[in-house]
Amino acid sequence: MILLDIITFFGRLHPLIVHLPIGFLLLAVIFDLVSYFPKYQVLKSAVSFTLFAGFCSAVIACIFGYLLSLTGDYDTTLLRHHKNSGIGIALFSGILFLLTHPKVRLIIPVSSRIFSALSVCLLGLMSYSGHLGGNLTHGSDYLSLAELTKTKREKPVSAEQAFIFEDVVQPILEKRCSQCHQGGKLKGNLSVESLTSLKKGGKNGPAVVAGKLAESELFKRITLDPAHKEFMPSDGKTPLTKTETEIIRWWIEKAMATEGKKLAELKGNEIIKPQIASFLGLGGLVPNEKETEISQKINPAIPLTLDNNLVINLRNSGFEARVMLQKPVMLDITLPSNSGKKGSELRKLLSPLAKNIIWLNLSENGLTDNDFDFLKDCTNLEKLRVEKNPVSDAFSNYLSKMPHLEALNLNETKITESSLTQLRKLPSLKRIYTFGTSIKGPEDGVINLGSK
Amino acid sequence: MSHHHEDEFRLHTPEFSDLNKKLDRRNFLTKTSLGLGALAVGSLIAGAKGFGGTLSKPAVEGSSDLEEEILRALPHIAPKAKRVVYLFMSGGPSQFETFDYKPKLVTMAGQNLPDSVRKGQRLTGMSANQSALPMVPSIYKFNRHGKNQTWISELLPHTAQVVDDLCIIKSIYSEAINHDPAITFFQTGNQLPGRPSIGSWISYGLGSDNQNLPTFIVLVSKNGQKDQPLYARLWGNGFLPSKHQGVQFRSGKDPVLFLNNPEGYDGKDRKEMLEYLSKLNKLQNDQFGDPEVDARIAQYEMAYHMQTSVPEVMNTADEPDEVFEMYGPDSRDSGTYAANCLLARKLLEKDVKFVQLYHQGWDQHGSLPKGIAQQCKSTDQATAALIKDLKRRGLLEDTLVIWGGEFGRTVYSQGKLSADDYGRDHHPRCFTMWMAGAGVKSGISYGETDDFSYNIVRDPVHVHDFQATMMHLMGIDHERLTYKFQGRRFRLTDVHGKVVRDILA
Repeated sequence: MILLDIITFFGRLHPLIVHLPIGFLLLAVIFDLVSYFPKYQVLKSAVSFTLFAGFCSAVIACIFGYLLSLTGDYDTTLLRHHKNSGIGIALFSGILFLLTHPKVRLIIPVSSRIFSALSVCLLGLMSYSGHLGGNLTHGSDYLSLAELTKTKREKPVSAEQAFIFEDVVQPILEKRCSQCHQGGKLKGNLSVESLTSLKKGGKNGPAVVAGKLAESELFKRITLDPAHKEFMPSDGKTPLTKTETEIIRWWIEKAMATEGKKLAELKGNEIIKPQIASFLGLGGLVPNEKETEISQKINPAIPLTLDNNLVINLRNSGFEARVMLQKPVMLDITLPSNSGKKGSELRKLLSPLAKNIIWLNLSENGLTDNDFDFLKDCTNLEKLRVEKNPVSDAFSNYLSKMPHLEALNLNETKITESSLTQLRKLPSLKRIYTFGTSIKGPEDGVINLGSK
Repeated sequence: MSHHHEDEFRLHTPEFSDLNKKLDRRNFLTKTSLGLGALAVGSLIAGAKGFGGTLSKPAVEGSSDLEEEILRALPHIAPKAKRVVYLFMSGGPSQFETFDYKPKLVTMAGQNLPDSVRKGQRLTGMSANQSALPMVPSIYKFNRHGKNQTWISELLPHTAQVVDDLCIIKSIYSEAINHDPAITFFQTGNQLPGRPSIGSWISYGLGSDNQNLPTFIVLVSKNGQKDQPLYARLWGNGFLPSKHQGVQFRSGKDPVLFLNNPEGYDGKDRKEMLEYLSKLNKLQNDQFGDPEVDARIAQYEMAYHMQTSVPEVMNTADEPDEVFEMYGPDSRDSGTYAANCLLARKLLEKDVKFVQLYHQGWDQHGSLPKGIAQQCKSTDQATAALIKDLKRRGLLEDTLVIWGGEFGRTVYSQGKLSADDYGRDHHPRCFTMWMAGAGVKSGISYGETDDFSYNIVRDPVHVHDFQATMMHLMGIDHERLTYKFQGRRFRLTDVHGKVVRDILA
């Protein structure tokens, strides 16, 4: 919730209140004019009161308008004219009201026709001021002939054919910035309307400096910490997505903030092409827009729950059992070295929770191939350490059904080259550690199978 | 006291009865005079307890429920790292002579730092009154290394060999400009002393993976220049239960004092004795509920375990010569940085969760070329050896290695700039750290500074962001591990911090 102070609150009522004097004064002028027809002559007597109502509401509208002008960054010239003409209307309508009073009429004799001419002038002044007010809120091109004849930009057919400024950068700025930085409302004196106005910048210097990110105020502001008071867009408006920021960065830094150039004409465009394609909805990279969410890839085969007693039992038998995640239950189990445990005991203790074991460390326990029988059940293993055990090539048979195994530590075992062929077939295996074995490979024994 | 207790504490042995019978003059006076007073005090305490019992107990229970609830939810994320080793380069290593290559400075050497770069930012009192701020490039050369052709200073030839395993962050920034607040900020997330350190938070949140060694161990190298002090509160537990404080292993022969049995005692009934002591302590604790008693019980138990585990882990006799050669000649001299790196590896092998090394002496306000060369010489080889050693043992797989200081240094020379000598003042606005191992991308550089390494131009990483990222890798959502103290929930990252997703593998 945004708490507004009272000034802002009443200020923002101005566009609402302002329609009261418009209505009243218009009605007063209409009453006055139609009273020349005998049929409506009776309305002449209503002019005085209607003018009074118009005058009062005009004064209130002026006050609220003034309050609004304190809160927003508006174009100063426009604002000044609007303010003066608005006050003018209030004064003018007050004078007209006084002129309807018989006693005033005795002192200043004004004929009905002159009075009517004056009230038409009031109408003119009101139109002028209303026009300025509209420009302030919506921008001068909101309701214009240009708007009527404007044709919609053709959507580019591919990222290469897109004009970097016109098709990509400008729409981003239009979407994220134009609300406060275009048309009549120029906060910080910055307009994002054209490249020229961006380079001219606002009161904190140029918004965009070709090739120089550090000097480009616009880029600096959109990449600040969102909690920073100078962060843009301000006031909790939707910030630029990562893709959009990356595009603007590339445009300023690498494309030297050009306009009228297609992406294909620009050097080094390969880097930014996927982002631009994604921005234009032409496929390509699908960015992770919801960055606050923690994205984890978790194997769906891991059971969601586990009998806690099994873990307690395991711990009481001398194992270290670390819970890596609660849901699903992911376990990291370590058998302290030289524990003296053998195959049958391992099977008994580990098999009931085999599917929950994700990391397993059985290093330095004098285990031989036959002790690993239980491993067949551990189909969700991701990391397995059996280093410093006298295991041989027969051991790799137990691993054939481990689709998720990523890292395997075989340091200081009796494993030989022949196991490697079989291990390479494992779909997820990325790293095999073979330091201190007979396998000839990299000096540190780390065999990288690359990403698959 | 019930009969059950009397039996347990063996109050009816003949020796004890004899003692009771010896009612000499002193005992008589003590018992009779104090006895009356004690009666009075006893009733007072009983009253107070009755009063407190109704009011304060629910509150105490409520808070422990909250604690349990928070701890039960851990870990929040499937962790990538099981252990952390944090090599803290205390004093603020210069980024210019190590990782942040700034070739354009060569042409600008001796020129004054432009105001357009400094933008009126604060300097320390040590150089704020200098008449000029002449910029100075690194006197040492840089070369390209690794598959990504990363620029690394010639002072770090060994680190350069492992660059493909590192994730170098060139855009770390801090808020503090002087040593103690800056290092306290890094360790506890707050510039003022009193909050728990990173290792304590990790120990509190995740517990231990080895009941025989402390979860959080600190090693301070003896061969660093002791130009800036380190205090034990940097690895203190703050308001967390005391058993989570870091245990410092001293350099030299006896890493933990008083672990050996005293002369004339064979230690055979040590376990029995401790169990008895623990019963007494628990009895005391039932009455007062003081968490410090729990901590004391835990410490006695840990000390007992350490009587065997520490000599075992300190024993380097099994290490082949090749290992000592890898870590460098210092590694045979217990307490040096190199020896501590080797010891750290042995502790990590035993699944100690958080090992923190400190190496002082990086505070080169003057004579930087000479000083930093010395510092690099005494740390570079062992640091790289630790990475290599962990990697070949398969431990880099689930160990996170962190290297860095509390801030960086200025582009301008503090004091007189001569052809071959200069100094650099503190600079918190940007500096370099690196991470390696579990869960971080390897072989990359992240973040960028301007041509003066004065301001960050790309991907800034705040200290809290670094802490949040580290906790994320350990499986902790930094916003959810909180501890209520004095009516407020505290966390390591205060109310800040964002995980730096771009460096996660």
